[in-house]
Amino acid sequence: MNIIVLQLFIAGRTPRTEHAISTLRQLIEQRLIGYPCELVIVDVLTDPQQAEERHILATPTLIKMLPLPQRRIIGDLADADGLLAALSLPPLSSA
Amino acid sequence: MEYADLPLVPSVESDAQLQTIANTSTDGMLIVDADGRVRFVNPAAEGLLRRRASDLIGQIFGLPIIISEAVEINLIQADGKLLATEMRTVAIVWEGAPAQMILLRDLTDQRRAQEAVRDAEGFSRAILNSLTHHIAVLDDAGTIILVNDAWHQFAMENGDPQLTATGVGMNYFAVCSTSSGANAQEVPAVVQGMRRVLHGDLPAFELDYPCHSPDEERWFQMRAVPLHGPRRGMVISHTDITDQRRNAQAAAESAALRAQLLAREREIVALGALSSTERRPSGVAQTLRSEEALRTANPTLFREYVGRYADLLESLVDERGFEARNTDATVRTLASSLGNLFISARDVVEIHLAALRSRSVGVAPSRQQAYLEEGRVLLLQLMGFLVAYYRDGLVA
Repeated sequence: MNIIVLQLFIAGRTPRTEHAISTLRQLIEQRLIGYPCELVIVDVLTDPQQAEERHILATPTLIKMLPLPQRRIIGDLADADGLLAALSLPPLSSA
Repeated sequence: MEYADLPLVPSVESDAQLQTIANTSTDGMLIVDADGRVRFVNPAAEGLLRRRASDLIGQIFGLPIIISEAVEINLIQADGKLLATEMRTVAIVWEGAPAQMILLRDLTDQRRAQEAVRDAEGFSRAILNSLTHHIAVLDDAGTIILVNDAWHQFAMENGDPQLTATGVGMNYFAVCSTSSGANAQEVPAVVQGMRRVLHGDLPAFELDYPCHSPDEERWFQMRAVPLHGPRRGMVISHTDITDQRRNAQAAAESAALRAQLLAREREIVALGALSSTERRPSGVAQTLRSEEALRTANPTLFREYVGRYADLLESLVDERGFEARNTDATVRTLASSLGNLFISARDVVEIHLAALRSRSVGVAPSRQQAYLEEGRVLLLQLMGFLVAYYRDGLVA
């Protein structure tokens, strides 16, 4: 089973970013159950180097590193269904 | 072939038209393909990102996801600075393939304006909260849209801690209309007054009303004035005027007492003048002093008797309400002492008035009234004993 690696780039902790993080964690726990998942959160304010290396042009940006192909999405990260579709991840029902 | 190497020349005429429009737009525009890779950048977007189009073409910006009409994102400029931006998207066909046009609008000015508004609102609120008046702002329908801390505090202390009855969102006309208790009869006048202010028929409406708590008597002044500015509405303030009313009442009582005191003084001086013209009893023709008033003939002695008289007056006032009084013997002793000096009625009156004045300075009006009342009784009693002394040679 392929590991899922997600990388989220945010700019500081705001209510919106907290909401996005919460949505992603719920999505991993409920919709991607059974898949080994890794969520890495990068704050561009404290770690600008990573943003530069990845050529991040805006926040919030979510990158699906694995499984390939990589996908990068930007904007509203509060809609679990939209995220799954955009990331081409298997839309699993909750256990 | 790399995307950055792709020619910027559009493949079809519609692309050329779109590019022409985009190049004149003040909003930033990016076109990304199905992978989120940048295929077109207009000059405004170059400015927002502080990057040249040639550096952006071929880069992956990301696939935009927008739940509602627009979303706020931060663009990361070439120097690492963040720029708050509103992002919208339109699905288009670009170079014959499905693509997304991303529209970007700088929110800096909007943010500044919002901050300025917030600052102004915060400043206004701070001013309102620094006032001790209880203030509520109503809209043109009478709905409370803002209350200050003093209003909140008063509501908390008077049965509405959560402001469920008198807080923001409640209609103040309805609040007044459901008012019960001692002020209920004034409600129609209050509501009518407020409505007239709201409609511009009255410049202001004021009403003093009692609002007694179980522990104390309180008075308030309600004032309604129109809200000046583009929004129609009204400002209601309630001010605790209990102290002012108490002071005014005390001043009125003091004035009345002063008038009474003056009247009594005139009466007694007249009585003293009459008495001083009477002849002394034949048996006491040899006086210890001349016909000159004690006050001028012997000021030290006069002050001593004023002091004794004042102490006696103090005791009488303190003993008010008690049936058994212990001051009779003292009054007799004082009468005998004064009789030994062949004191005239005028001297007694002067001692009385001087003692009354000395005791009335700086005391409450109710105490002044007590001195007056007890003083009249004491004066008559002393005169009676003195007459007995001069007639019989002793105080019975």
